[in-house]
Amino acid sequence: MADGNALMQLRYRYFSGRLVGEILSKSWIDSAIPVVALVVTTAIMVFLIPGLLNTAYIADIARQLAEFGLVALALTIVIISGGIDLSVGSMFALCVLAALTAMNVLALPFLAALGMTLGVGLACGLLNGMLIGYLRLRAFITTLVTLVIYRALYDIIFPRLASAIVGTTSDSSTWDFLGFGDIYGVPSSFLIFAVIALAIHITLSRLRPGWRLRAVGGARKSAYNAGIDVKRIVCMAYVSSGVLTAIAAFLFSARLGSTGADTGIGMEISVLTAVVLGGVSLGGGRGSVGSAIIGAILVLILTNGLIRLSTPGSVNQLLLGLILILAVLFDVKWVKNRGKILSKVYVSPTYLELPPESRDDSGAFALNDRLGEVELIGLGEVEGPEDVILDRDGHLYTGTRHGTIVRFLAPDYVKSELFARIGGHPLGLNFTKDGHLLTCVGGMGVYKVSPDGGVSKVTDETNRSWLSVIDDSRLRLPDDLDVAPDGRIFFSEATIRYEMADWVVDALEGRGNGRLICHDPSTGKTRAVLRGLIFPNGITICRDGQSLLFAETWACRISRYWFDGPKKGQREIFASNLPGYPDNINRGSNGTYWVALLGLRTKTFDLAMRKPAFRRRMARRIASDEWLFPNVNRGCVVQLSQDGAVLDVLWDSKGENHPSITSTCEHKGYLYLGGVSNNRIGRVRLPNSDPEWTTWDDYWGKG
Amino acid sequence: MGFLSRLFARDREDTLSVPAMDGMFKPNTRLDEAERVLDLNCVDNLAAMPDGLYASGGDRLFRIDPDARHAQPVRTFEGDVTMAAASPFGPLAVGVEGGGLELLDNGAWRRLDLPTELSSCITAALFGDEDTLYLAIGSRQHRASNWKRDLMSRGSTGAVLRYTLSTGTVDAIADNLAFPYGLAFLDDGRLAVSESWRHRVVAVQPRRKASIEVLISDLPAYPARLAPSAKSGFWLALFAPRRQLTEFVLREDDYRLEMMATIPPSAWIGPDLADNGCDEQPLQAGSVRQMGIMKPWAPSRSYGLVARLDPLANPIASFHSRANGTMHGIVSVAEYRGQVYAASRGAGTLLRIDTDEAP
Repeated sequence: MADGNALMQLRYRYFSGRLVGEILSKSWIDSAIPVVALVVTTAIMVFLIPGLLNTAYIADIARQLAEFGLVALALTIVIISGGIDLSVGSMFALCVLAALTAMNVLALPFLAALGMTLGVGLACGLLNGMLIGYLRLRAFITTLVTLVIYRALYDIIFPRLASAIVGTTSDSSTWDFLGFGDIYGVPSSFLIFAVIALAIHITLSRLRPGWRLRAVGGARKSAYNAGIDVKRIVCMAYVSSGVLTAIAAFLFSARLGSTGADTGIGMEISVLTAVVLGGVSLGGGRGSVGSAIIGAILVLILTNGLIRLSTPGSVNQLLLGLILILAVLFDVKWVKNRGKILSKVYVSPTYLELPPESRDDSGAFALNDRLGEVELIGLGEVEGPEDVILDRDGHLYTGTRHGTIVRFLAPDYVKSELFARIGGHPLGLNFTKDGHLLTCVGGMGVYKVSPDGGVSKVTDETNRSWLSVIDDSRLRLPDDLDVAPDGRIFFSEATIRYEMADWVVDALEGRGNGRLICHDPSTGKTRAVLRGLIFPNGITICRDGQSLLFAETWACRISRYWFDGPKKGQREIFASNLPGYPDNINRGSNGTYWVALLGLRTKTFDLAMRKPAFRRRMARRIASDEWLFPNVNRGCVVQLSQDGAVLDVLWDSKGENHPSITSTCEHKGYLYLGGVSNNRIGRVRLPNSDPEWTTWDDYWGKG
Repeated sequence: MGFLSRLFARDREDTLSVPAMDGMFKPNTRLDEAERVLDLNCVDNLAAMPDGLYASGGDRLFRIDPDARHAQPVRTFEGDVTMAAASPFGPLAVGVEGGGLELLDNGAWRRLDLPTELSSCITAALFGDEDTLYLAIGSRQHRASNWKRDLMSRGSTGAVLRYTLSTGTVDAIADNLAFPYGLAFLDDGRLAVSESWRHRVVAVQPRRKASIEVLISDLPAYPARLAPSAKSGFWLALFAPRRQLTEFVLREDDYRLEMMATIPPSAWIGPDLADNGCDEQPLQAGSVRQMGIMKPWAPSRSYGLVARLDPLANPIASFHSRANGTMHGIVSVAEYRGQVYAASRGAGTLLRIDTDEAP
């Protein structure tokens, strides 16, 4: 049995299935499958056509990719905006005609010819954009019509200029360099393509126009409500499509130097196949430059390979069409089911064995009703007071789930005022020496509120760990903080895998998903100090100024960590095997510490923690409202000595006012209580405490 | 067979679904609003006799005068009373855990002998004629007070017996039932039996062992006793809610067996008669108190539910006490002098239900 347990622990430490969910939740997962398809297709082609991979072939593919890829990017932008551009093929033909006319027939200088080509592309794109963006015509039918119009124009103009185009050739060396030149073996046109693709990638993923484009494609109405000029964005998408197609046409003209009646025919279908294969969703809002390029390479390799295998052109078209259908089908199913799969596999429990519970009803943790006589503050006015703290003047501060910090005025705490508006749910609170209020805000980071209520950000990111799939550089759930004598801020991040609203779900995993982080205001740097902690929650700096206590909630223990002094870097258990789940830790009078237990251990949950497979099946098979949870409907307050011995325990036996307690603050003979899912603050008289003691004085001295 | 069906059921999502409280079981608060006649610790089985309403509670039997709100102790037994049944012919039968049957006839108590395995879990009784008593045996393996262990070990050793008073002969008319908990006569002379662990009411032939017919299945809660209604049809008390988590644990053999072996039953995952606030009790996600409020829809361990059934045992009305209420664990209903009474064993309260608004 013991061996079996050890094996199970090992398995869940290294193969808990956590990565499956994390990888599925990444945005690049949309491109992963096309990449696999690309690798497989290339391998098959290399196998079927011996001697395929040589520099000449690769250079040829690179030049084709430059042209084809640019058109794919053009279509990608339009599709991300929620539309479609079927006229790219005709537009391409018209632009080729313009480029060749300018260079060969009119013998314009290179830049003028470029300008003329781009002008034609811009005009074509603008027509589409005006019709679809501003006149609100359907994208499909409009671009189908312009496809016919542009093609008709081409068919009218081309025969009149055909002989002139073929008859003369340009003597511009730049023109030739564009068509045939290379830099260190890399085709020049490919380099241009690479630069443009990079620029578009940065625009789409990092800059405002790109975000707006995605927003419009993802949810047009919401984008409009968010104040985005939807019509202009849509119009600009078609204009950029026209311009990108024009650049592609210019490169094509430079390479071939001539054109034929069939230029650009059927191009829209192969580009569309490439884009959809790459993972750009036809529904709009999803897609990237990377996926467009992967799709383009895939289609190029496929078509070139099929030509090499001497498959008839019609069969090629047939295959391409079939692939397009399959890709669209896959896209629809993927977009629809990705979230479902993710929700089923994301919760990934691991093995956590707690020491056998030692609580008995006659011991230190015997039930009493010391909190039964609690005085209530702000009943119904505050929602979610996770932490409570009092300042030098005795005013009481707490955060609410409405994203505010509320101040109750001394001495009777009847009147309250809005102290600061944060925007996220403030959790842990603490004062700095100069009277600023620091707070950990769920989903946002650590913020500072000046005594006049001004809010400023302290930090919202830390160093990313190299092996983490999840981007853990952003703070997801900073929970509690404390300030060292030298001003450094130590704070806990409870979990990097769940958002604020799902904090209890982390209990089902029982893994060390949390961190202890230090922010140094003197350098402005934020660094993770300890990783792999099991829901690190409350933090308090010990009175030696060199160490701190932190609670690991689901592990039911409190540890001490030395961040300075001779024992720097060491860590030891301060109090373990608590009967419940410790939340915030705060200093108390006479050198003691107060620990709030937000819930109690239950034997059924402890047993479940030793059976990760049971929890995983539970998370998959039953509705989340029905999941087994730790008992967070019953908590208590524990007073610990400076050595971690239990001195006193305060209960609310009926559980009416304080079923779960997440924080305490002692102040002048009273203990103030907060609860993250409560709607009141309690205060209870402490008969045996120092009536003059305040937290502020204990930290920063009297005066 | 069971193994095969469970193997194939393993990955079928719908096998864990629990019927929603909807349709005729649409929730209301009529049990919480009902008049609380009196408090009687562990009030269990109600039996209406001409001289008063009898109720069992713990190891005692009481005669209750509801109008005077007074409970007069009648007798204390050597074990917990597991059922009480009144006969239209005069006698009163009482089941005692570990002690078998006691019959009150013409003011005198008489003990009726039963084989040991049948004597500890008599959950209900019904007089057929002056010489015939039908008995529901919840389980042959576990005592009545140990019902939770019977549920969690997927018990199906219950039976319905015909007991002949004059000779003392016992004939089983239905076997292998999963905790039969209530008995009543149907209009066609058959017996309606509530089979608790299978959440259904079945019909049984009273004369001989024959195949049983399912009258209503997929109840949203575990059914307890049945009682006839003077108008027509029946009253069905349902003592605890079904939960997905319970159904899930019933399938998780490894977890369930270890839980049963190492944890006291009061702390088990599973249904209960009352949410007694015990710290050891497991909690489900939806039952977390938010802003000082327990949501009425929370997946609680206990619930209060009484259903009115038509003569074919289809539900036509229901009375609820939801997760935020207290009148939980309704184990029996009785009509007495034109009024309907329900026993909330969870709250230890006798309720008088206002049936006027019932459709």
